[in-house]
Amino acid sequence: MSRVAAYLPIAAVVALAAVVPLVVTSNTVINFLVFTLIVAVAAQGWNLLGGYGGQYSFGHAAFFGTGAYVTALLQTQAGWNPWATVLLGILAGAAVGAVIGFLSFRSGLRGSYFALITLAFAEVFRILANAAGITGGAAGVLIRLDVRPENFQFASRGTFFWVGLAVVAIGLVLTRAIERSRFGAHLVAVRENEDAARALGVDPLRVKLLAITLSAGLTAASGGLYAQYFLFLDAGIAYGAWISVEALVAPIIGGIGTVFGPLVGAVVLQGLGHLTGHLAGEIPGISLVVFGALLILAVAFAPDGATGMAGRLWRRWRRPATPTTTPTATGGERC
Amino acid sequence: MFDPMKPDRRTILKTGAAAFATGVVAAPLVLRAQPAAIKVGVLQPVTGALAHDGQQGRIGAELAIRDINAGGGIKSLGGAKLEMVFGDAKSTPEGGTQEVERMQGEGVVAVVGGYASAICLATTQAAARYDLPYVVDVGVSDQIVRRGLKNTFRIAPGFGTCATQALDNLVRINDAAGKPARTVVLIHEDGLFGSGLAKLLQTELPKRGFEVLETIAHPTPTRDMSNVALQIRAKRPDLVIPSSYYGEYVLLARTMQQQRIRPKAIYAVLNGAASNFRFVKEFPEAANLMMDCNHWHDPRNPKAIALRKEVEARGAFWTYNIPLNYSAMLFLADALERAKSTDRAAVIEALAASTFDGHIMPYGPTKFVDGTNTGAAPVNLQVQGNDIKVIYPDMFADGKPVFPMPA
Repeated sequence: MSRVAAYLPIAAVVALAAVVPLVVTSNTVINFLVFTLIVAVAAQGWNLLGGYGGQYSFGHAAFFGTGAYVTALLQTQAGWNPWATVLLGILAGAAVGAVIGFLSFRSGLRGSYFALITLAFAEVFRILANAAGITGGAAGVLIRLDVRPENFQFASRGTFFWVGLAVVAIGLVLTRAIERSRFGAHLVAVRENEDAARALGVDPLRVKLLAITLSAGLTAASGGLYAQYFLFLDAGIAYGAWISVEALVAPIIGGIGTVFGPLVGAVVLQGLGHLTGHLAGEIPGISLVVFGALLILAVAFAPDGATGMAGRLWRRWRRPATPTTTPTATGGERC
Repeated sequence: MFDPMKPDRRTILKTGAAAFATGVVAAPLVLRAQPAAIKVGVLQPVTGALAHDGQQGRIGAELAIRDINAGGGIKSLGGAKLEMVFGDAKSTPEGGTQEVERMQGEGVVAVVGGYASAICLATTQAAARYDLPYVVDVGVSDQIVRRGLKNTFRIAPGFGTCATQALDNLVRINDAAGKPARTVVLIHEDGLFGSGLAKLLQTELPKRGFEVLETIAHPTPTRDMSNVALQIRAKRPDLVIPSSYYGEYVLLARTMQQQRIRPKAIYAVLNGAASNFRFVKEFPEAANLMMDCNHWHDPRNPKAIALRKEVEARGAFWTYNIPLNYSAMLFLADALERAKSTDRAAVIEALAASTFDGHIMPYGPTKFVDGTNTGAAPVNLQVQGNDIKVIYPDMFADGKPVFPMPA
């Protein structure tokens, strides 16, 4: 695949999405889409480490929360410009990722042990943030409403959609670039068989460290966006298990270890949640029941995610009667 | 053959079209006689961790809308009826924000509710972007009204007022009984509400002549209170002041009862359980004679009494969320009445200038200073028998304090 062809689908998807605020006038829809994009960015971060590197983290809240808190606190306490604080939040999140990665990968933690240690880190962060004075304790941090573009607050929700979309686009390009790079190949090698990769001269510790740093940075960007959009944070929001779960489930639903998986998963999940809320009507909580049932169906009938299922259907439609399928057409193809 | 008496197809079509056109044009004239309903957003968390409180708040708002409409709607707007646009905040700030956006899209004139501080903080700002008036029902965090948001009005007293009143009332109740209590143990959950209150009490209680023997923090949730109870037993305080949520407080009260720890009083502030009928019904012995300083309805107000009877007849527990939301909705209706318009600026102006006293809370007339209702105050409550009585201040009381508790 040529360089241009590799990035063409990303350009097409982003261009198509960029038109949405021009067509859709309902702020309710835009608001929902902005939240979906924020979740998608967190999911893209998770996908780099979990999808390509095979290191399943249950604690991406640690990075999301660090990004959010650093962004919000530098802005409210030190009075720095929020555009700069979002970038610093990303760096801080990446640094936390590197430290957690170093501590756990150096000790050789893999699989469920790694998942548990990340979960523990996120919980420790949550408890600390809840108790510390600088984070406002349980009262949380409130960013003042001051609608100015230089203040990262826009009169139109559509503008924030474009900012979110730009970050998602960066995530897509970054993922594709990694996929096509030597580092990406090393990462996949580590995922498939760490010992074999080491035998081939790959340094798994270095590869995994780089992956968790990038992954954490991307998820921290999502936290920064959240803080700037909702203008309020507390320990439960920033370091709560909800975002760890969102970041993890979206790629699984969308297609793990694929470029578009996290975005598709976030759109499908949030869309389903929203839709069931409308369909279920007035009975409180019934939407969550419907949502859960749909989730089970989705996992049962599309175990390789939405993008995987779409690929399968596409191939079936193109070659309805061909008895011999190509060896790669197993449905698990990484697109 | 053509028959002049029998209408042909063209005539039928023409007549039909004319009749239809008349109908379409005339229809709005008919509709205009009935003023369009005024949409009001009711935002409560009815799913997630705060579901119970949200459902209670919703009952209050719904009953108020029913009563306002039964009383002839908003008379200055031609008797326009209120129509509820309900939003589930899902117990999260972003869930609440999403619903505010939807309400804005549906053209509500104002939003009532919010319940939790975190939800209120995020949603009032979301509403402020559209100058959408917002009446906060509970939201005790004083940050809610300290941000200079012109659209935000909280009818209930905030954390600062509640804490000061709780201390002052404690001193008065103690003085009236001949100062039997001098030593205190503070128990608190380690979140916003518990820690904040404990810090305040630690500095303020000594100034009022009390000695704080021990401050014990516990996380939420906690599954065992035996250690806390043993610490209380060792210190033998006159007063125990717990600031915890429902589950932990019930656990503490039951553990203290089992271990026969009987201080002179258990005096709670804004407690999740001490003035909750569920606790009173499920554990009457553990709950008996607990005191709490909290939101409550005015027990002498006939409207409040009737409302409570109705709610209990439906099989729902009576909690403060119901009269608070009921009053918040009446407060908004009064502002609409005076504004004579659904224009947001006019409604905000009417809310800000409100001197509304038709509520069912133990408050004076409404008076807003920077979004804070200075007419609002909490009251002291005590579980007596199977009921919750207001014991202080005297002007609202329907019971006398039992203090100190009989050993």
